[in-house]
Amino acid sequence: MLSALMALSYAAFAIFVIVVASKWIKWSSMPMHLRWELYPVPHEAGRHHYGGSYIEEVDYWKKPRETTLAGELKDMFSEMLFIKRVYQYKRPLWWLTYPFHAGIYLILAWFFLLFVHGILSVYISIPALATIVYYLIQICGTIGIIAATLGCIGLIIRRFSDRDMGNYTVGVEIFNLFFILVVLLTGIATWITYDPHFQHAMEFMKALVAFNAAYLPKLTTIAKVHVVLLCLLWIYIPFTKMSHFIGKYFTFHKVLWDDELNVPGSKVEAKVRELTKLPMPWSAPHVDTGKSWDENALESPKDEWGRWRY
Amino acid sequence: MGEVEILSREIKPEDAASPVDQLVKLTVRDLEKLPPPYDKPGMEPELTDPKPEWREKYATDLDGYIAIDLPWKPQNKEEEERLVKSFLSGLNKLLTKEGNWTFLQPLLLSLEYCAKCQTCSNACPIYIMSGKQEVYKPTWRAEILRRIWKKYCTPAGKIFGKFVAGDIELNAKTLLRLAESAYRCTLCRRCTQTCPIGVDNGLISHEIRKLFSQEMGIAPKALHELGTVQHLKVGSSTGLTPDGVRDIIEFIEDDIEDKIGKRIKIPVDEKGADILLIHNAGEFLSWPENPAAFAILFEEAGLSWTLSSEQVAYDAVNYGVWYDDLQLARVAAKHAEIANKLEVNKIVVGECGHAHKAITVVADRVLHDDIWIPRESCMPILWEIVKKEKINFDPEKNNFPVTLHDPCNMVRLMGVVEPQRKILRKLAPQFREMEPHGVYNYCCGGGSGFAIMTSMNFPEWRNAVATRMKFKQVLEAFKDCLDPSINKYICAPCSNCKGAIRDMLSYYKAPERLSIYYGGLVELMVNAMVDLEEPFIEWEFH
Ligand code: SF4
Ligand code: SF4
Repeated sequence: MLSALMALSYAAFAIFVIVVASKWIKWSSMPMHLRWELYPVPHEAGRHHYGGSYIEEVDYWKKPRETTLAGELKDMFSEMLFIKRVYQYKRPLWWLTYPFHAGIYLILAWFFLLFVHGILSVYISIPALATIVYYLIQICGTIGIIAATLGCIGLIIRRFSDRDMGNYTVGVEIFNLFFILVVLLTGIATWITYDPHFQHAMEFMKALVAFNAAYLPKLTTIAKVHVVLLCLLWIYIPFTKMSHFIGKYFTFHKVLWDDELNVPGSKVEAKVRELTKLPMPWSAPHVDTGKSWDENALESPKDEWGRWRY
Repeated sequence: MGEVEILSREIKPEDAASPVDQLVKLTVRDLEKLPPPYDKPGMEPELTDPKPEWREKYATDLDGYIAIDLPWKPQNKEEEERLVKSFLSGLNKLLTKEGNWTFLQPLLLSLEYCAKCQTCSNACPIYIMSGKQEVYKPTWRAEILRRIWKKYCTPAGKIFGKFVAGDIELNAKTLLRLAESAYRCTLCRRCTQTCPIGVDNGLISHEIRKLFSQEMGIAPKALHELGTVQHLKVGSSTGLTPDGVRDIIEFIEDDIEDKIGKRIKIPVDEKGADILLIHNAGEFLSWPENPAAFAILFEEAGLSWTLSSEQVAYDAVNYGVWYDDLQLARVAAKHAEIANKLEVNKIVVGECGHAHKAITVVADRVLHDDIWIPRESCMPILWEIVKKEKINFDPEKNNFPVTLHDPCNMVRLMGVVEPQRKILRKLAPQFREMEPHGVYNYCCGGGSGFAIMTSMNFPEWRNAVATRMKFKQVLEAFKDCLDPSINKYICAPCSNCKGAIRDMLSYYKAPERLSIYYGGLVELMVNAMVDLEEPFIEWEFH
């Protein structure tokens, strides 16, 4: 049973990584879209603070672009780490969503620290570092699980009490929140009843890092239930929109901040040339179905163009 | 026809399919209050019901207003089935690379990742000023499309049904309301700025419009039949022909001579000029003082420029950007082709916001090889004229209250924010900003085609609801000088915004009650020219 739990843990991690990677590939291999940026675009050097763009310059297409990675990183991190937009535009919700997300970040940090601790106990011995890691595990684990649980309960209550949100919520979204809550509550039960200093969690990770079931602690039923549910959650998340961390990268970097210019001889132009060769499948009277976008775009107007039908 | 049935309870996304005649009925009392002096009863007209006969063939099913002025309401079961089938066929095309490479990635991201947190709702001027009518919430129409997409186009939705897709029924009512609701959003994308995930509800409205247009040719006549189609066939969406435009240009030359005592020869079809200046053709017909002011400034500053009198190229508009990617590409390609034929170095767009964005930004990835030409905004050029002191200006000539309306397309959607304000800070001593402004501005209410959609009862909705936030902002910007003895100027450097603002001011009787007028930026610049003996701005409402 215990080694079965190890196998499940490896599988959960592997599936998570594979599905996240495949989603990443799916989104990044989508065709280039028309420009649809939204200002302020944070990499606009010297103009970002008021939302300006390089188009404010006469003959901008001839001039070198001045961009700032720092601006982009600042915007990205303030959104990732502080959920800035909800803080600015929907503060009451932020008080719930922020503990929830910050709690999850701390739990992820806790996993990472457990991993480091495992490495330090199996492969490299640096006692001073191990002690620091030990205390960080206590801090991240404790604050993380409490904050995430409170936030999660708050979000569930809000989904039901705030009709604005509730009317738009579908079954699976409620299920997702409850799934997370159950994992968190079994985690809390395990923590309180069995593992107040995360000692067994460290041992569990040590076994995983060493690929050796001999290091495994003796788990109580609630601890086993927690590990199984947690693994299932890891497997489940990338298939759902709880993986919005992937989507968020693309919505900002590849849509709202994508201001790459098309100039003759550029990569963008080469892509436009290819894409406009695609046949148009649309059926309205003003479309020559089957002809390419380019052929359609350069056609002379016809009488039926103004008509409609279904 | 009997009593009209309205849904008398809280509205949810699934109510799009409700069999009632109309989901909501607006009254002035539901709407958000306006500041003084419009806080008193009787200061604005009551809202009317649609004509009963419209209900038979037109989509009055959402809120009683009609944006899509085509008789497209199915008359029997068979027609309803055909409509649903066409819609689903269009939806599937919207999800393919061939059908929608233009917006596939942004659309799917927005359908997939909305967290339903409603952070975006309060950013929407239409939702807020309507008194928070559910059907105008940025997420309402988006959620309807999302549920249909989940249910009919995704494996999860097909297997798990309602649990994953939510509650939605696809019938004629759903589609009539979905299509109309896509025309209760100005595509201003203010909601998108606030979304923590970057989900774009404005884009979803755009894609719904596209689906109906590209698959069925269903779009408001002003945008399609009389818009892009007329533009490509006749030369302009206003119906203006090449001969017509040449006549107007001559008339403008006469007018300039009358005003400044000097004849300017406006260059037309001059090969090899540096700039091809393209105006929104609405300027020639409704505000000829705007092209006149451009001509004065460009000539006085010694620029090498020309207008075109060739079909399509004397009208900068590109309504395709609001509802149809193919029509967008057709108009943009024509603009670029004619500019290349004239051997100019670049196209410069006059005071027209959507034309700015369409040709400079959105069509940037449509033009290629022979059909490519540099395009830019007129704003930086105008600022250079002021900055480099190519003309002598006396700001005292503009010593009256001025506020700036930011066209969404110029600011939020392409980042041209400062040049126009720098000009105003220099040339308008009483310039004051609206709040919020710049990239966080509110739409004039005429965005995405609303300004030119004037048939049936749509203008009433536009004036009462869509422009309401702008009117509120204007009243607040001028609150220290509302006295009608003081002339006030809303500077709106965009033809469509001017159209919406003109109708708004007239609807609220603001010129006669408060002496609030409007106009472009170049008129203010010319008004400040030292060489002019008489004021260029005439303080006439038209
Ligand atoms: S669009 Fe964005 S802000 Fe609006 S509900 Fe969805 S996730 Fe929240
Ligand atoms: S794009 Fe503008 S009008 Fe449309 S929903 Fe968003 S905020 Fe409202």
